[in-house]
Amino acid sequence: MALNANLLAAPVAAPLLTAALILLFARWGGRTLIRHQVALTALALCLNLGIVLTLFYGAAVQGRRFVLQFGNWTAPFGITAYGDGLSATLLLMTAIVALAVYPFAVATIDYHRARMGFHPLYLFLLMGVNGAFLSGDLFNLYVFFEVLLMASFVLLTIGAQPAQTNSGIRYVVLNLLASTVFLVAAGVAYGTLGSLNMAQIAERLPLAAPAVRTVFAGLLMVAFGSKAALFPLFFWLPASYHTPPPAVTALFGGLLTKVGIYTLFRSFTLFFPELLLSWQPALLTIAGATMLVGALGALAQPGIRRVLSFHIISHVGFILMGLAVALSGNSLAIGFGLGAAILYLCHHMIIKTALIMAGGAVELYMGSDRLASIGGLVTRQPLLAFLFFMASISLAGVPPFSGFVSKLSLLQITLDTHHWVVSGVSLFASLLTMINMMRLWRESFWGDYSRPSRVPSRILQSTIRQQLMLIPVGALVLLSLGLGIFGERAFNLTMRVAQHALDRDAYIEAVSPSTLHSSGLRSGAFNVTGPKFPDSSTHLFASLGEPPWPAR
Amino acid sequence: MPELYLRLLNRILTPLLLLLAIYLLLRGHNLPGGGFIAGLMAAAAFELQILSRGHERVRRSIGPYLNSGIGLGLAIAICSGFAGLLNGVFFKGLWFDLHVPLLGELAVGTPVIFDLGVFLVVVSVATSYLLGLSRVSDSAAPNPDGAPSPELSDSFETDPTGVADDSRVRNKR
Repeated sequence: MALNANLLAAPVAAPLLTAALILLFARWGGRTLIRHQVALTALALCLNLGIVLTLFYGAAVQGRRFVLQFGNWTAPFGITAYGDGLSATLLLMTAIVALAVYPFAVATIDYHRARMGFHPLYLFLLMGVNGAFLSGDLFNLYVFFEVLLMASFVLLTIGAQPAQTNSGIRYVVLNLLASTVFLVAAGVAYGTLGSLNMAQIAERLPLAAPAVRTVFAGLLMVAFGSKAALFPLFFWLPASYHTPPPAVTALFGGLLTKVGIYTLFRSFTLFFPELLLSWQPALLTIAGATMLVGALGALAQPGIRRVLSFHIISHVGFILMGLAVALSGNSLAIGFGLGAAILYLCHHMIIKTALIMAGGAVELYMGSDRLASIGGLVTRQPLLAFLFFMASISLAGVPPFSGFVSKLSLLQITLDTHHWVVSGVSLFASLLTMINMMRLWRESFWGDYSRPSRVPSRILQSTIRQQLMLIPVGALVLLSLGLGIFGERAFNLTMRVAQHALDRDAYIEAVSPSTLHSSGLRSGAFNVTGPKFPDSSTHLFASLGEPPWPAR
Repeated sequence: MPELYLRLLNRILTPLLLLLAIYLLLRGHNLPGGGFIAGLMAAAAFELQILSRGHERVRRSIGPYLNSGIGLGLAIAICSGFAGLLNGVFFKGLWFDLHVPLLGELAVGTPVIFDLGVFLVVVSVATSYLLGLSRVSDSAAPNPDGAPSPELSDSFETDPTGVADDSRVRNKR
């Protein structure tokens, strides 16, 4: 076994080990201790970025698939970690977001929250997100969902302000409901297919009864759709994102919904790609509704962070639109939609984190984020105003930023597949985004200087804190610019990643070659890298006869 | 003051429970048992201490070490995974034969070390929950002088006195 596959354990093990060390020595020392915690956490985040860059190079650039069977126990018995281009891309974006938010968090998190364990929790959240991206097993996916849910719940309520507790309860109840639905789906998979390994589920699902497939897909769609904040299930997000400290919101906005999106990508490409065609009208409707509700909801919000959190919802709609047309295409290649969606996801993670951090900086300078009462910050903080503006137009999709390329590619594929309505809706939502962003910028930076809070800002008095807040925002805006300028290369890469993700056979073979050979089961009809794709699998079911595993 | 029989029972049961915990921890590799169950058993022993001697005494003696216990347990567990790298794969078991004078041949391996880590995490987490719950139930009971309980601090017990949180709790009430 090559050492390279062991690398898959590192994005989970490194944050966990660092958090454990921090907890181990948490008893000794006061303020110096916090400094050591900060140093250790920063070290772990840099280490994580390094590991993930190596993985990204191997998986996304070279197109390899890493499979780690923990303790060398093969797939149905042991736990599988799986890393391909899709996982590696998301891991890389996660590492960038986590590293970028951290200086901002160090500058803005107060001593009390740090003493209650902010820094180890940050690492636990990172560990949960990384683990979810790498999991090759439905139950472990659930476990990592719970890890990140628990870490995010504590990060959300740490400090115990009344508003935080209120939003924390709503957040945890709605998320636990989604987790329960997910657990039921895992139970359905285990009860009917006899395995929780994702490769084996993918292998056996085409042979299962159509009702089982529909129920399984529906349950997963509800569970992951709720985590991803899709249209009817997004209520936990705007209820909770504006109450914790801005650094926590930036981290959540960058990471949390993306895990739901990743699992939607993975389950639709691996488990039931045929539903991408038969459920396409429903998926496109949900995508359109999500875009519209998010953008319209943002128009009505009074505070910066509330506007930005509604925009997260709107953008999840864009990404789902790309997924819905992943297997369609007339003049464009199959998988173009998914490639565009992945590119959009990267753009969204970068720029949304930058915007929430910039908005958080405004809130910390002003002592409030109510748009009606603040204004005129451009004279005091010209650099912040500039960065906020650049991030805003990138979010709205103005060239040469990454928003333009990613929106253009999404629009190309929807127009190519003649989905006129949803293309129109996406353009309208982009226009609303532009209006919203200009409203945010005008209200907070333009006009006469007015600062509602009488208490002098601690942030304003410290140059080093201001630098720690602004440098990551600037770096992320530059990254977005780079992604926009080298858009074609980036798109070629995400396109390749998408085609790898759509290749089910390669996934199944990489994880459990033995079962494939022993059962003589090759789902060649589902190989979707070519242009032809069967819209129904009934003939497969008929030709293979009895399923190769014992009936329950 | 706790009941007399509880204090008597405590003297007999606590060592028994701890012994049982160690027994379960060691047999857990091939038979029912293991770090998780053993950790819960040991936490039950600590809960018996809390009930019979009051939570202040237990907190004073082991409270400050609970976070370190969680950290140490997690570190041990993950390091046993890293030890598997010597054998080629993360979490691959490494086994040694130990000659112990009285017991004869013992097979000791990284899974035992992993279980030890799980045991430490479970003991520390469960005991800090139990200590926290006993504190809440104390403060929920009406105090004679009507003042809020001075010890309602967070569960992250870096500061055993909980001074830093008192002001916040008072302000909220």
